[in-house]
Amino acid sequence: MTELEAGRADRLAPVRSVSALQRYRDVLIALIAFAVLATLPLLTDSKALLDFVIRCSAYGLFATSLNLLVGYTGLTSFGHGMFFGLGAYSFGLIMQKLGVPIPVAFVATLAITALVAAVIGAICVRLKEIYFAFVTLAFQMLIHSTILSWASFTGGDQGLRGGIPRPAFLGINLANHVDLYVVSCALLVLGLLAMRQIAQSPFGYTLRMIRDNAARASFLGIDVWRAKLTVFVLAALFASMGGMVMALFVSGAYPEFAYWTISGEGIFINMLGGVSTFLGPMVGTVLLLLLNDTVTRFTEYHGIVLGVVILFFALGLRKGLLDFVAEWYTHRRDAGEGR
Amino acid sequence: MTRTRTPGISRRSTLALMGAGAMSVAAPWVARAQAKTIKIGMPTILSGRVAQLGTSSRNAVMLEVDKVNAAGGLAGRQIEMVIRDSKGQPQEAARVARELVNTDGCEWLIDGEASSGSFAVHEVARDLGVLCVHTCSEASSLTADPKQHVPNAFRCVRQGIHDSIVGGSYAAAISKAKGLKKWATCSPDYAYGRDTTGEFTLYLKRFAPDVEIISESWPKLFQPDYTEVVTKILQAKPQALYSCLWGGDLTSYIDQANIYAMFGQMEVFAVNMADYTALTVVKNLPKGIHSGNRYIKSFPTTPENAAWGDAYKAKYNEYPTNWSWQNATAVMFLAEAAKKANSTDGKKIAEVLKGLTIKCPFGADGTVTMRGDDHTLVGYAIGWGTTIPQEPYVPEVKAGDWKTIFELEAEWKKSKGYT
Repeated sequence: MTELEAGRADRLAPVRSVSALQRYRDVLIALIAFAVLATLPLLTDSKALLDFVIRCSAYGLFATSLNLLVGYTGLTSFGHGMFFGLGAYSFGLIMQKLGVPIPVAFVATLAITALVAAVIGAICVRLKEIYFAFVTLAFQMLIHSTILSWASFTGGDQGLRGGIPRPAFLGINLANHVDLYVVSCALLVLGLLAMRQIAQSPFGYTLRMIRDNAARASFLGIDVWRAKLTVFVLAALFASMGGMVMALFVSGAYPEFAYWTISGEGIFINMLGGVSTFLGPMVGTVLLLLLNDTVTRFTEYHGIVLGVVILFFALGLRKGLLDFVAEWYTHRRDAGEGR
Repeated sequence: MTRTRTPGISRRSTLALMGAGAMSVAAPWVARAQAKTIKIGMPTILSGRVAQLGTSSRNAVMLEVDKVNAAGGLAGRQIEMVIRDSKGQPQEAARVARELVNTDGCEWLIDGEASSGSFAVHEVARDLGVLCVHTCSEASSLTADPKQHVPNAFRCVRQGIHDSIVGGSYAAAISKAKGLKKWATCSPDYAYGRDTTGEFTLYLKRFAPDVEIISESWPKLFQPDYTEVVTKILQAKPQALYSCLWGGDLTSYIDQANIYAMFGQMEVFAVNMADYTALTVVKNLPKGIHSGNRYIKSFPTTPENAAWGDAYKAKYNEYPTNWSWQNATAVMFLAEAAKKANSTDGKKIAEVLKGLTIKCPFGADGTVTMRGDDHTLVGYAIGWGTTIPQEPYVPEVKAGDWKTIFELEAEWKKSKGYT
């Protein structure tokens, strides 16, 4: 080692420790977020607030997983809600018919979702843009119609009735509201952390390259089809997790969970929150649910209010809220440095 | 950068202080108000395609609640209704129901949801143990299936199976009299349509064994164009047609079938025709369509029923719907139960409601009963008649026989494995 190199190494050393902090920054944030959420029931006895966070977990997982496709890979799926519904139904049916412990049903549901997503994805991800959007929508309607017409198995349009049994496991009783809340928070935080890891990994950057220029990625030796299929299946898994949280919350599964309106809400959330920041969809989820819950308290003409809000975001901000804030912040920082 | 602001009470803490002040002043008032009035929560469908029915449910509830309040309330407590839209989505229905109980402090629920939404609210009632009366879901399994049973939930609604038994026996009698052997069916393609049609034909064939179904059509729910269905039926040349299409679907179907002069060529049995939402909307209501009663102020032919229909019309400038009388009946049951129990405690009310018989304008004999073993409404006015194009629309209704209904319902329950 030359003197010069030794000097460089000295200078590099602190950088490395910073990068170690960087590496665990997301984990740290996740831990803090979970700790804050988990202490919430100690601070308040508002069941409505806990209900709100549980629903945020379900929709947040779903919307963020949709952003893996829309924001990171440029695959605008109009049928992502099918995996939300599939998760809810698979989980509910396994619990009702087989009576296995909840973690087993959870893993089995993920396995079923992975299988179905792999088959549907293999067909869909070959297509681009509007064709991809419409074929995913078609598959969603196929799953929705199957749920409706296979009434002896799924309960048809009346849904899975009679409640989902929730036997206690490892000292956790999901029939207890607070337990369900903590588990939902844990699933949300773990899910978001996992998706963050996917987005920041080399694979995540491959996805961004595919989004920006698939032909170039292909020329660089990337198997575009395989990468797209992988992210399609991964996104389906998290959407399915969201569906399971929702099934536990309402203690049932209903065909509306697999209807196109759920996919529409996912896209709406992404538009509200923003697609170019990782937490954009989470912000969008909180915004949409807050809007929905407050507006429906006062009027049945909530459609008008939500319509005006989306117009404001689409025409006024021209992007989601978090994207807008991030851009404003960058702009301000750059302006500050320029001074 | 230099700090220019002088430290003092920040805006945030000012707001917090003001908030805390307002809360401490308001809290005793809020608490006192809660003790005096009883809040009843009601999720129902106030937007979308069936909003008209949800609104008519709200109207009927308010009509009755005003009467109860004017007469002194429930065991001395005035009723305050908190009615919210669920958009017909089960997850919203569940959320709204939970919010009504947990946040708004509603002590009871009147569930104005149909189909899947009612099952979602049913689970909320199971979970929270709150007294709940379903007022719109006609799905028989909600109360007939013992697996669904929730001790604190009741259903104050007509039932698909009752309609089918009465409809089947009425249609069989006309079949025999007029020699109608070839039948066609045309019903919406979802659980209600399939189940109700299946049960109707089951009882039709039971009472008139030589009837044959020669054509079946299953248009989609909310289908705009029925041309192919109408031509298919006309080609099959049946002597009679059964349909359980309802609301906007039924009226568009009739308007389109009128173009083909279909109603002159066969006897039509449309169970959901005799409801003002359909009767007043059809452009040229054909004479002689057979229909079950939904809500019609000429049946039962009592002054009480006519007066109730007129009072509703006077207040809301439209006629009540099938959902209206069911919701009104629910409030009547709750009021009577509170009077008997002299309490508003949900558990006591649930005990009193079991098997309770009350005077009611919509009863077959002037009374209706909340059957004790399956918590469901029986003894309501049920019958079939034929239409005329102007008021009273269905001048004569032949009442169904509750003795037959009970017998066949028991048999049906056994066949489904419910008993």
